[in-house]
Amino acid sequence: MNKHQWQTFTLHNPYLFSLLLLVIITLVNLFVQPDMFHRDTINNNMRVFLPLILLAAGEAVVILGGGIDISVGSIVSIVNVILATQVGLQGNPQKMYLMMGFVLLVGMAAGAINGFFVAYMRLQPIITTYATSFLYAGLALFILPNPGGGIPQSFSSFYRDTTPLGLPLAFFIIALILLAWGFVQQTRYGRYLSAVGGKADAAYETAVPVSAIQFSTYVAAGLMAALSGIAVTMLVSSGNSTTGDQLTLSSITAVVIGGTTLSGGVGGVAGAMIGAVILGLIKNIISFANIDTWWQTFVNAAIIVVALAAPGVINLFRRKR
Amino acid sequence: MALSLSARNVVKRYGGVTALSNANLDVNAGEVVALIGANGSGKSTLSKIINGVVVLDGGQLLLDGQFMEFSSPQAAKNLGISTVFQELSLIPQMTVAENIWLAREPLKRGGVIDRKMIREKSDALLNLFAGTYKSSLHPDVTVTSLPPDEKQIVEILKAVSFDPRLLILDEATASLDSRQVERLFELVKRWKQEGKAIVFVSHRMEEIFRIADRYSVLKNGVTVGTGAMKDVNTKDIVSLMVGEESAENAVERKKAVAQNLSGSSVELDVNELRTDFLKGLTFQLHKGELLGIGGLKGQGQRDLLLALFGDLKYTGSINFSGELVHFKNTRQAMNKGVALVPGERAKEGLLFIRSILENLLLPSWGEYGFPTRMRKARESANRIGSTLNLKMAGLDEPVTGLSGGNAQKVVIGKWLLRNPRLLLLDDPTKGVDVGTKAEFYRLLARLCADGLSVLFYSSDDEELLGLCDRVLVMHDGNIRQELFGETLTKSNLVAASLGASRESMQ
Amino acid sequence: MKRITISPPVAAVLLAIILFALSGLLPNGFGSNMLVARAQAVNILRLSVFLGVIAAGQTLVIISGSEGIDLSAGAVVTLTAIVTYVLVNGNDGRVLPALFAAILVGAAIGLVNGTGISFLKISPLVMTLGMSGVVTGMILIVQHGNVSGAVSPIMTKVIARPLIFGIPGAIIIWVFFAGLMWLLMERTAFGKNLFAIGTNRVTARLSGVNVTAMVLATYALAGALSGLGGFLAVGNTGVVFINIGNPFLFPSIAAVAVGGTLLSGGKGSYWGTMAGAIVLTLLTSLLTTMQMPDSVRSMVLGATLLILISIYGRQQALRQ
Repeated sequence: MNKHQWQTFTLHNPYLFSLLLLVIITLVNLFVQPDMFHRDTINNNMRVFLPLILLAAGEAVVILGGGIDISVGSIVSIVNVILATQVGLQGNPQKMYLMMGFVLLVGMAAGAINGFFVAYMRLQPIITTYATSFLYAGLALFILPNPGGGIPQSFSSFYRDTTPLGLPLAFFIIALILLAWGFVQQTRYGRYLSAVGGKADAAYETAVPVSAIQFSTYVAAGLMAALSGIAVTMLVSSGNSTTGDQLTLSSITAVVIGGTTLSGGVGGVAGAMIGAVILGLIKNIISFANIDTWWQTFVNAAIIVVALAAPGVINLFRRKR
Repeated sequence: MALSLSARNVVKRYGGVTALSNANLDVNAGEVVALIGANGSGKSTLSKIINGVVVLDGGQLLLDGQFMEFSSPQAAKNLGISTVFQELSLIPQMTVAENIWLAREPLKRGGVIDRKMIREKSDALLNLFAGTYKSSLHPDVTVTSLPPDEKQIVEILKAVSFDPRLLILDEATASLDSRQVERLFELVKRWKQEGKAIVFVSHRMEEIFRIADRYSVLKNGVTVGTGAMKDVNTKDIVSLMVGEESAENAVERKKAVAQNLSGSSVELDVNELRTDFLKGLTFQLHKGELLGIGGLKGQGQRDLLLALFGDLKYTGSINFSGELVHFKNTRQAMNKGVALVPGERAKEGLLFIRSILENLLLPSWGEYGFPTRMRKARESANRIGSTLNLKMAGLDEPVTGLSGGNAQKVVIGKWLLRNPRLLLLDDPTKGVDVGTKAEFYRLLARLCADGLSVLFYSSDDEELLGLCDRVLVMHDGNIRQELFGETLTKSNLVAASLGASRESMQ
Repeated sequence: MKRITISPPVAAVLLAIILFALSGLLPNGFGSNMLVARAQAVNILRLSVFLGVIAAGQTLVIISGSEGIDLSAGAVVTLTAIVTYVLVNGNDGRVLPALFAAILVGAAIGLVNGTGISFLKISPLVMTLGMSGVVTGMILIVQHGNVSGAVSPIMTKVIARPLIFGIPGAIIIWVFFAGLMWLLMERTAFGKNLFAIGTNRVTARLSGVNVTAMVLATYALAGALSGLGGFLAVGNTGVVFINIGNPFLFPSIAAVAVGGTLLSGGKGSYWGTMAGAIVLTLLTSLLTTMQMPDSVRSMVLGATLLILISIYGRQQALRQ
């Protein structure tokens, strides 16, 4: 296969590598967790994976548009502490619904701040979102200095036990997002996104509203981070200002494993969601593999680095040939 | 609807560099106006101002007699102005159809893009060039995987798809082959009859005389002449482009070089050099020889120079100064005495925000010890600066402030500091003013007389004819023909450049 | 648009002076007592040293361009602090070997960063963030919850206490260190090539600069400097704890930005970063004096960086 054919091939099949990896990881996971396909196990796994899946989907949109957002984890934290402090274990459902609506707005507002500085002030995305990540993390810590708070029991059990049509709730949420993404790709907005991420100045010359598109990707990521924060809160049913800290790198890794290039323009949300599932399964395997607790953080991080390195290693070999 | 557009006294500055100081252009419906000028004269800048990509710093644009201020490319497009860009405006990762209809996709109900209609409309557009491209070009292929000529066709179709009233063709023919150019000209004639106004930006004289009705010549950012094509000949245009000096003097004749190579040894012996693009090149370069490389743009000249400089993987053997070499990186090549002046001065030759001193000494810092002996470094830089007659405010000034010619002197200077034995030049006079060009030719002659071997690619045929005794004409990754002595004539050079159509030329 | 005529490092120094004067005006500030003021100034300077040394590595990677950044610096500082603590174990004779070990460990981690970035084309942000996780994992393995060790008397004496004329050793080390940094950046081929690759990697490569080797060396050096930072930090605190390094990470990047180093690479100076380190240390201590909680400090730091890059870090507009 020559260079051009390879390029066309990989451009048309950005998910290929991640699907292959998904199959392998699933097999390994099946080996350590034989009842993996049991309904309850799937439900258990999926509700743990869901927050990262949602976050990765949002991060994918930003990266596809040529940016990056390393503040998404902090947005998750803000959402988590708002829900945990404002609703409370004894809070009534109306209050919970109200606050869920409110945190979605908060997420979008946080995304809008990122988007404003990156798209309209034309600052570098990495350093901008690094700065705002501190801003947001500080805000989360300000709202909830010590871990605590909670949400009504009914919401946690709803998140845990709802299985419409015998399928985990997470499946429906994922399906909904995939449908939405599928629709977006059929619209001008989807084209604009690839164009802006692919070559922003050429897109500009073709009258694509580059800044508005860039701005919108950060708002989308903020919204997805808020959804992710709601899911996390329902999962752990308590508040902690560091909830999202570890999620940022995982979400970027999921996007990379999912076949989206960090330079933008190629890839998509579906791949990122597959990537998030892969990361979740890897964590699963590690916890089943009886690794000494002290080693778990290291193994986890090392696997993330290896996963990030994988596309580079493949390229290295391809160039050698 | 008839259209008239005029640009009056347009001024544009980039940082400290003035790209346009007094540019003028008038174009009306149903005519083709050629915007002519040497490289770097401001042609592209003027066309970017007309289509709203670049903001003008002074002067005005009048559309149908109305004072105009375009706030964006979008605004210009809404007024019916469309451009074929020299640097393509295509998104590499997207397909041909997606690129052509970007931002104007026909929609079905619910905001969904009508893919079927896009494909049909793209097919219809591609039909305009039917028969001049390979079957691999179809609406659903990704743009990255296309060769340069087909990318150019897509770019043209993209501009046409707007059904513009004014179409700007900025060097649109540069990477097209002769059949494609032929087809484009047929289309241009048709569009002209349909009442479109067309601005044709080029420096290919023959094409200009074939297609244009009127001309407007730019020189160093100033419009120096306008009129009807039928009133002038090539010589008139050229003398407008180069100014006072006559066209003949623009290139000093080969007497200046006066090469006597009988008896000199072979400095570079290349055998079956292959890269992804080059298809087995074999040639020799003598000590002190100025060997020209010709051909249309993008025929492998760049690959050849990069491979010789160790920046591109290759197979085949290279014998340099009697020694078999295979450079794996530029540093190895440099340490053996090879130097490269790359084609894109701004992107590949200079460190823009750094000082002249640092640019001049970039390859040589290692030779000034630790801690770096700055005084000695400055002395060297000043010495080479005066040798090259480099006009600068001081060594510590950023290189951004220099004119094209002086900036190129810095690029050449950084290599001369190292006393190379083989100098590889990739179109070094692009965007360089006439005076500096003449200096540069004298410099080359002197260096060759001192025993430096030079491999000289130029996109300017006159330059090759004037300076070289021997020219290798490249076409599609091959050396199509070696021209020397009697056979080194303009018509042979052009014929060999066109490659495939050589038979038809004879 | 008018260009800012005052150079960023000078602005940073002015900012430091203003902040210092402000801190004197606080209810519990030094007021008009010059003796206290001097002591406080010396103390701020001394505290700036650790941030300053860690930010030195950050300066180098940021100057090297291509979105260069080292987010593993905080974890490396912690790890090398632990390494120092364990190896020295209260013994003066083992200080030098421990210093070398700290620097070596830092350099090794930096080399891994550089390898991932230059050979595997992983973006610096992602690579160093990933390595930060790996190093944190290594810390947990090494530390196992608690470590036994101690700094030695000579370390405390040289780093934390006044050495000559009431000036703490750390400050003297910093001045010496700054001289070395200046030499490295302005008077070696490495330094010249560093600015070159930060400005334009293609031009650098086509001018015979070995870009890959430069990137490897830069990240390794940054790691080594974080290692030195870890050594100095533990010498200052006298005890090691798991969060000793992380609070330095964000300020180290902010310090580079305050000092006027272009975040896109190719331009900057270490003395700017030094001024930046002082500004950030002052800012932190100001917030501490005002008894602001960590959350507010975090927000103020984030906002400061955001404001700074809004002033210095604009990219080219789409429309020219």
